[in-house]
Parts: sequence; C-alpha cells; structure tokens
Amino acid sequence: MTVDGIRLGRKLFYDPILSVDSTVSCATCHQQALSFTDGLDRSQGVAGMTRRGSLSLINVGFHYDGLFWDGRSPNLEHLSLIPPEDPIEMAETWDNVELKLRNHPVYPTDFRQAFGIDNVSGIDRHLAAKAISQFLRTIVSGHNSRYDRFVRGEIFLEENEFNGYLMFFNIDPSLPDAQCGHCHNAPLMATNDYFNNGLQESPDLYSFPDPGLGAITGIASDNGRFKPPTLRNLVFTAPYMHDGRFKTLPEVVDHYASGGKESPNKSSFMFNLVLTESQKADILAFLLTLTDSTTLTNPAFKNPF
Amino acid sequence: MRPFILLAVTAFVVGFISCKEDNPEGTLTLHFKAVYDGQPLQTFTTHPFEGIQQIQFTHLSMMVADLQLVKGSAVKDLDDIELVDLSFDNLAAAEAGYTLTIPNVATGSYDGIKFGLGVPPDLNQKKPADFSSGSPLSKTGYYWVAWNSYIFSKTEGRLDTLGNGTLDLGFAMHTGSDALYRAGQGTIPIVIEEGKTTNMNVLLDYKDLLQGVDIKSHPQNHTQSDTSEIVKIVNNYGTSITLSL
Repeated sequence: MTVDGIRLGRKLFYDPILSVDSTVSCATCHQQALSFTDGLDRSQGVAGMTRRGSLSLINVGFHYDGLFWDGRSPNLEHLSLIPPEDPIEMAETWDNVELKLRNHPVYPTDFRQAFGIDNVSGIDRHLAAKAISQFLRTIVSGHNSRYDRFVRGEIFLEENEFNGYLMFFNIDPSLPDAQCGHCHNAPLMATNDYFNNGLQESPDLYSFPDPGLGAITGIASDNGRFKPPTLRNLVFTAPYMHDGRFKTLPEVVDHYASGGKESPNKSSFMFNLVLTESQKADILAFLLTLTDSTTLTNPAFKNPF
Repeated sequence: MRPFILLAVTAFVVGFISCKEDNPEGTLTLHFKAVYDGQPLQTFTTHPFEGIQQIQFTHLSMMVADLQLVKGSAVKDLDDIELVDLSFDNLAAAEAGYTLTIPNVATGSYDGIKFGLGVPPDLNQKKPADFSSGSPLSKTGYYWVAWNSYIFSKTEGRLDTLGNGTLDLGFAMHTGSDALYRAGQGTIPIVIEEGKTTNMNVLLDYKDLLQGVDIKSHPQNHTQSDTSEIVKIVNNYGTSITLSL
C-alpha cells in the first residue's frame, strides 16, 4: 500500500465513472455516514434494486475466506472488479471504464504516481482494483468504541452493558448464553465462517429461496449460509440481514432469541434462548458499546471531490 | 489398523532428525477421515446413537498440531498446526477425507507418527490477531474469548432424543483450554522413498469418540465449570483414532 495508491483508490471509490451512466459509485451503496452501508434493505443500482443489502466495509481488510454475503470473492482485488460489470449495480464494462480512465484529464497522472506506469495504456482494471483495495484496507475501526476502551481497561461498562457483554460471550454461567460470540467474535465482531442463522425455512438442503454460500461452492450443506457481518457500528447499519428484513435492533435480538426458522443446516447455536426482556435490553446495551462514530467523520475516508 | 496411543502431556526429551539439503526426500500424505461405526461419515445423514436416540452431524473439525515422524527416540517435525475439517455432505468426499500433503520428508524408515489434537499451550496463549490470514490460528471462529483459548475441535449436529425421527435437539460440543490438549503416538512402520509419496490413513470414529458422552443433557459445553462431557471426548481420542497405510 502507498499513499498515492490509497489516494487514487479513494477517488475511484467515490467516482461514478465506474458506472455506465455515471450515476452510481461504490460510495452510493457504501456511505461513510452509515458506516459504509446505504440504509436500504436491498441496494440501488443503475438498473434497479440488487438482490441483497450492502455490507459494511468497516475492517473489510481483515476479512478473508470469501467476501460478499455469499463469499464469492477471494480478496478485495477480486471484489473490486465485480460491481462495475454487475448488470444491476453499475452495468458498465471494464473495457469502457479503462477507456474513460485513460482519456480522463487527471487519472493518468494519478495512476502514474500510484503505480509508476509510463504510458496511459498501462491503466487497466487490475490497477484500478488494486487502488480501490488499498483504500478499502484503510477503513479500520477498532480503537475508539466503548467496548475497545473497556477491553483495554480504560473504562468500566455500565451494569446493563456489562451484563450484555457477559451474555454475548457467555462468560458468566449464571446468565443465559446469548450465543452471539460464535459468529460475531472479537475483535472484528464477525468471523470468516458462514452460518445459517435461521432466516429461511427449508425442509431440506435444496429449497432455500436464497442459497447464499451454496450457490458459490455448489455444496448442498452450504445452502442458506451467509457471512456474518461485523457488529461494529451496527447502530448505523440498519436494516439488518442480507435482505434487510429487520428494521431495528430489537427485531434482530428477538429473532435470535426465538431460534429462527427451521432447516437441516440451521446453526446449532440457533434455538429458543429464553431471554427475559431485561436481558434482551442488556444485550442491546452492549451492542451499542461497539459504536465508533469517529469512523463516520474521519476525513481520510471522506469524498475527495 | 494401528491404534493411536495418547501420551501424557508432559515435556520429554527426544532426539531430532536433521534434514540436510542434499538428503533425498519423498512425500508423506495423510488422509484424515471421519467414520461412524467403521463406515464413512457423511454429514446430514442419520445414525443410531445411545439407546433409542439418533444422531446427525453437521460439522466436524479439529486442530491437529505438532505432527512428527518418530524414529527410535528421534523425531522429525512435519507440521506445526493444521485445521482438519471433516465436514463432507457427500459420500465420495467423506470417503476421500481431508488430505494433508507434507513434501520434502527425508527418506528412510520410521517407526510411527506423533501428533497433538488441539492447540499446544504455547500457541494457545496467543490470539487470532497474532497470526497472518494463512494460518489456521488466525480464524476468529476458532477462538473462544470467554475461555482465552482456541477451540480445539468442533463436533456439531442434531439429536433425535426420542427416537421418533425428529431431530429435536441441536448440539455443539467444542473442546478447548490447555487442560484438554491431547497428544498421542501411533506405532506403524512408515517408509519414505525418494521422489515417491507414502499414503497414510488417519481414521477418527465418531461413535467411539462420543462413547459415554451425554449429549442430551449437555448439548453445549461453553462454560468452563461444565466440562465433564468434553473431557470424555478428548479422553476418547485414544480409542477412536486408528492409523493404516
């Protein structure tokens, strides 16, 4: 990563030049003010609504074993190549994007500074993807939340927050295990595994309306499994789940407390948790300690135009 | 079939087999396979369990550590840590198992193989953030914050507790913490020949592994004060693992 590479990637991230009609940029679906999501249940592309909601990009550089809800991309460089050519998201071709970048009054200089190319013909999709990936890797949050400060021993959590913490990670056997930490483990408050969290009812492994990971791997038992998103800044990332079905955090907690819908590969951690309303409130209080609002205003992530 | 004998988890001195650059080398390929009552174990299929119960597995995996070939009192280090995932929902994959290929093994005749099941205490002091993404130990899904420990193995599935055909109880038996690390050794003649591959099967029979484990009463073991059933699991490794060439 270089300063010039990150700078170029940030410009490309915010520039609608990647879309066919110059109306949609990466930032359209990944807005800094919403912790790099878009507030929609399904994202808006140039040709309509996409199939799924946008995932937060917070700490995306630390994720591997597949990116996107269904793990279709092995790394950020691959991920960055997909939206421009998605027929709904940006509906452009990389051939055309390359032409636009090569003929642009500024980008050839930016690419030269970032990658040392000696001719505009050296500008291609792979360098563009590398630059965008460099910028994405700078979107880091893991220092300023109340949770992080608590872990570092700088502050105490409030009693309700602390109770929620104990249940989230099942630290105190006298409290119920809220089963959260299996899929949303520290420090990312996510994992690189995939889970069926009981959103879709299916009598067998083959009847999920959205197969998620299974559509990518072709493995039946992966059907209905999705990547758990980070819970950092989740107060800004509503609506929730891959299809945005839950508008509020209490709805999310109620879903997990209920055990969700039945299917053969539903996670073993999904069952009726028998939580009181007070315990649910404590878990919500803990979730809010994961808020780092400085990420939303960090000038390094802002639109450079 | 050769048994896998659990060793006391204490330090002991053994010699070390050096590997000089000009020594001829071959390849050792280990095929880890899950079986149930001797038959290939396919996830999402149902098997008889204790009494009237039926069991269906959905996820099977474990950390295998400190793989070493043994020659007399000397050992040859092969691999520090490997996440062996035995979750296969089709029969062909279950029969093939998880393959671990170890190249550049010095040729010769060895007496057996040693390995640990879990994460050794020195590595278990660390956390996923201490490792690069290529390491199994970077996986946050295999770290349990409340225990300050890696998850050594995952055995997950569903149980038909009433024997009526309904899988009514999900279970997740996760092992972890230094006290539950187990190391063992199998005595089996292994010959590594120059430029050739020697294949070895490591079979883990989950029926034997879960012998005496009361899943119905303890479908999860995430509390350190309640490790009775997962202790049984790690103590069953010796009777559930067999080696063959």
